Amino acid sequence: MAAAAASSSSSSAAATPQGVTERRGIPAASFVEDVETYLRQAGLDVNSGLAFLQERLQQYKIVEMKLLAQQRDLQAKIPDIEKCLDIVATLQAKKALGEALTADFELSEGIYSRAKIEDTDSVCLWLGANVMLEYSCDEANALLKKNLENAKASLEVLVADLQFLRDQQTITQVTIARVFNWDVHQRRSKQAIKET
Amino acid sequence: MASPPRIEVEKLSVEQLKALKEQTDLEVNLLQDSLTKIRSAATRLENASAALHDLSLRPKGKKMLVPLTASLYVPGTLDDSEKVLVDVGTGYFIEKTMTEGKEYCERKINLLKSNFDELVEMATKKKNIADEMGRLLQAKLRQSSPSPSS
Repeated sequence: MAAAAASSSSSSAAATPQGVTERRGIPAASFVEDVETYLRQAGLDVNSGLAFLQERLQQYKIVEMKLLAQQRDLQAKIPDIEKCLDIVATLQAKKALGEALTADFELSEGIYSRAKIEDTDSVCLWLGANVMLEYSCDEANALLKKNLENAKASLEVLVADLQFLRDQQTITQVTIARVFNWDVHQRRSKQAIKET
Repeated sequence: MASPPRIEVEKLSVEQLKALKEQTDLEVNLLQDSLTKIRSAATRLENASAALHDLSLRPKGKKMLVPLTASLYVPGTLDDSEKVLVDVGTGYFIEKTMTEGKEYCERKINLLKSNFDELVEMATKKKNIADEMGRLLQAKLRQSSPSPSS
């Protein structure tokens, strides 16, 4: 079991770059070479050690939930930005052709009405926090592209952070198992000595 | 239609009463969920009806900001103030006049309200049954609890 645990930790360590001690303020879980040494250096008995590790694991899980929520927000936001870019491109194309754009817009949930858009060179973007700004098509295009790049970059960072967090959880869980098993082993040794 | 045989709840054991109460409580919860959904659907339809009324006050050619996505609006004009598209579900849209659209919304609202009333009545009955079984369970537990001591 110890060998399997060690190999599991090794594979986890391989996924995360070596020597990464923290990421966005999240401390890395240190790999424990020897349980007895670890407990002695930390000045912990088995129960205190297990309690500390459980608490750390719980904190990792809480942060993971927050990051997953952010990831969901970004994943919903990116298609919306792409759609806006498509619309700006369509408006510019229509303007170049000198045609009016006729569109059905959502009046209310399930009710649509028709509108005509003629020769407009401006769009209004809802920026959030009750703010809407009017831009020319070119400015809107540039802004939306920048937002899209930022959102995609943020998503990549989030994915990497979540991977890091999963590694830390794995290391912590393995450490908990090893401390527990070490304790069981110690108790058995003492029992054997007592019976001798 | 033969009705299911009436259960004599007084003769049920404590375990059977517990199981029956749990089942009834579950049914009450499901009915509550349905009531909540009906209420929100009715609210949406009332909003739609109000929007239709508001739209009928605007003439063709009225300037407006057209919401092309949730976050992008474009200056434009109303192209047709007499007709609307109505989403009737399962991917179908029907073009209706303003009056027909309002009638559609009102008909749906009335249907939802009658369903709501039926469900309220049913939920009340189920709730009463659950409460009665709860009381019966308490009485049976009180009867059975003195036994070990005596």
